[in-house]
Order: sequence, then C-alpha cells, then structure tokens
Amino acid sequence: MTLDPTGRTSRRAILAGGVSLLGAGCLGNGESGDGGSGDGDAPSLADHPVGQNLAAQPRLGPDPAEATGVIVAFEDPSCPRCAAFEEVTVPKIKSELVDPGDAAYVVRTVPLVYPWGEPAIHALEATYARDAGAFWTLLGHYFAEQDAFGPDNVLDRTESFLSTETSIDASAVVADAETEAYASAVETDLAASEAADVSGTPTVFLFRDGDYRTRVTGSVSFNLVTQALGL
Amino acid sequence: MISLPTRVADWRLMGRTARLVLGGPGYALVGLAAAAVALTGLVLSQNLPFTADALAGRVPASALLELYPFVGTSYSLLTGSVVVLVALLVGVDIALVAYHVREHRLSAEGGGGSLVGVVLGTLGAGCAACGSAVLAGLLSLFGAAGVLTLLPLDGLEFALLSLAALVLSIYWLADGMRGGEIRGCPVDLQK
Repeated sequence: MTLDPTGRTSRRAILAGGVSLLGAGCLGNGESGDGGSGDGDAPSLADHPVGQNLAAQPRLGPDPAEATGVIVAFEDPSCPRCAAFEEVTVPKIKSELVDPGDAAYVVRTVPLVYPWGEPAIHALEATYARDAGAFWTLLGHYFAEQDAFGPDNVLDRTESFLSTETSIDASAVVADAETEAYASAVETDLAASEAADVSGTPTVFLFRDGDYRTRVTGSVSFNLVTQALGL
Repeated sequence: MISLPTRVADWRLMGRTARLVLGGPGYALVGLAAAAVALTGLVLSQNLPFTADALAGRVPASALLELYPFVGTSYSLLTGSVVVLVALLVGVDIALVAYHVREHRLSAEGGGGSLVGVVLGTLGAGCAACGSAVLAGLLSLFGAAGVLTLLPLDGLEFALLSLAALVLSIYWLADGMRGGEIRGCPVDLQK
C-alpha cells in the first residue's frame, strides 16, 4: 500500500533535500505547520495539528488536557535515531516526568524511513486497538531489535513476539496488519504529521500548560526536553 | 589533469601545509572560527524552528547546546565524530583558502574543490543525523527510493563522502601552494 498516493510526503522530503543542498540542513523545517514558531503566537494543544485526535493515541501519564507538560513524539519503528531516543531519553521521560504526573507522553507513528516500518505501524495500530500495554511492549521490541527486521519478516516476527510476550491474539493482529484493517488510524497520524510538517523522525512537539512551546527533531536529550518545558 | 592524494608524500604535503598555515595565529583563529561556524550551521540547520524558538526566548537559549554532538544525545558516537571532523576540516579548508587568497594566486581548481567540500559536508552531516528521510526523497527523484536500504550506514555515507571531498579540497589547495613558501618555510620539501 502507498500511504500517500499523492506523494505529498516525498515531495516535501525532496524540497527539504533541496534546501539542504543550499546549506540549510536536511529536515523539513516547516514554517507554517510548527504552530507559529518564533512569532509569539503559541497555539493551544487543542488547536495544534499534533493535538488532533490525541485522545485516541497511545499515551503514558496524565490526561494531556490536565498535564503541565505534554510531549508528542512522531516516530517510525524502523528509524535508527528513534531507537536511540527510545533507549536514552524516553526512559528518563517516563521515570522523571510521566511517573510523577508532571507530563504526558504520546506517540504517533509515521512510516518515513525503511519499508518495513509501514507494516510494523499497521501491526502496532492493530495491537493498540486490542491492548494499550501490548502496544508499548511491541514498540519497544521493534526499537530494541531493529536490525533484525525487514519487509519480508516483520509480520512473522511480530506474530512470534506477540504470541510469546503478550496475551493478545497475535495471528489476528498480523491478519489485520496484512489487510490494513486499521488504515484509518495510520492515516490519522500521517495526516497530523503532514499538517505539522513532520518530515523526519523522531520529531518531538512540546506543550506547556496546554500551549505550544517548541518542536525539535532528532534523538534529543532529556535535558533539552526539561529545559524547553521548564520542568 | 586532476591529481589525487594517492602517495604518502601527498598526505605529508597536506599535513605540512595545514600546520604551516595554522601556525600563524591569525589563520588559526580564522580556521577555528570557521570550524565553529560550520559545526553550528550543521547542527542548528537541522532544527530551525527550535533555533528560532530559542532565539525568540520561547525556550532557554542554553537548550541549543543540547543539539551539539557530545553535549546532547542527537548524534551517535560515530556520527558525532564525523560531524565534528567535517567541521574541523571545513576550518582547515577555509584557513587554507584565506591564506591562498591573501598570499598566493588562488587557482580555480582549488577554490572549486573547497566549495564542493563545504556543500557536501553540510548535506552529508545533515543527512547522517536526520534518519535518512530526505535521503529517501532525494533518491526517489531518480526512481530509486529502495536504494536507501542498500546504504548500511543509514545515510552516514554522505558525511563520509563529504570528508573525502574536504580532503580533496585541502589537497588541491596544498598542491596549488607547492613551490611557494608559508611564513618563510617551503611548502614542498621534495625536490
């Protein structure tokens, strides 16, 4: 399946590449979709593109509408820098911000890097529809064993992992991933990423007291997150 | 004819030329400033919205330091090392160009090599860090998006290519100075 038959993502990536050729870097640094970055007009989480359908997204911690800080991360299971972000930064976010109730951590998945990321995301959505806990377990597995996955084995390995490590119906998840039964959920995240001009992963959006604070791309440090959020 | 640094003597020539040029405090300062600017450009250009937010005071400016290699966690050890090396070589390259322009007649060949090196360094270091998203876009221009999977270093290949371009640039500059003197010392010791 081509998630974006119009090719919008590719065109934006190409544009970003063209910018990088001129020396401005290789990421899509969208001016319009970053929530009014740098202009002093910070939109609220509810109005920001990444805040759309947020209640339906995998989340750790308090309700984003009530949390002091909200961290929304766009990630691709096949992205190496996302794996580094999950390994180094996210554990600290969980233990020092999420567990004390200071911040909510939300993940939205987008297929941007390697081809196996796309079926993996369909499997993740099918898993999340059944059990949120299993979603986080599977996401962690993708990042931890990233080098072992490819387009030919991703669903087989997913079924094997889910059947041994979780209690959900692994074969049903894989069947749903194959038929793209949760394509609308995948499209929702993709639409949010496009509206927010996300063209690289991980891209993290930070909100403080319900208002947009900033966005940053890459496997950024925990210190950066806390400094930006003022937590 | 394009010459390449294929002999040990060529690398000695590059090293000696760089040492002699950077031995002058003024050119060392130019090189250091160029390296710092290059590193800052490579790092911040990948997060322009965040940089703008820091400059606008929306987030603390000190948070920008977290984007740099070995300060924050945005770069792996390997990628961070390559990015710093690219920046250092840009510094050496700029110092050589500055010296060449001021003291000698700059050859078109050497100047062109420097420009290619700087542009490739920017593109390469950026793509090595960003997770290959744009690399996929660039490759799709040629109808070969799947080629991305053939790059085992996740785009770091471009940064390594930029290192090669910078080395070539420095070599061509040093080669262009062959026969001359830097601060009274002959550039080329070979007869």
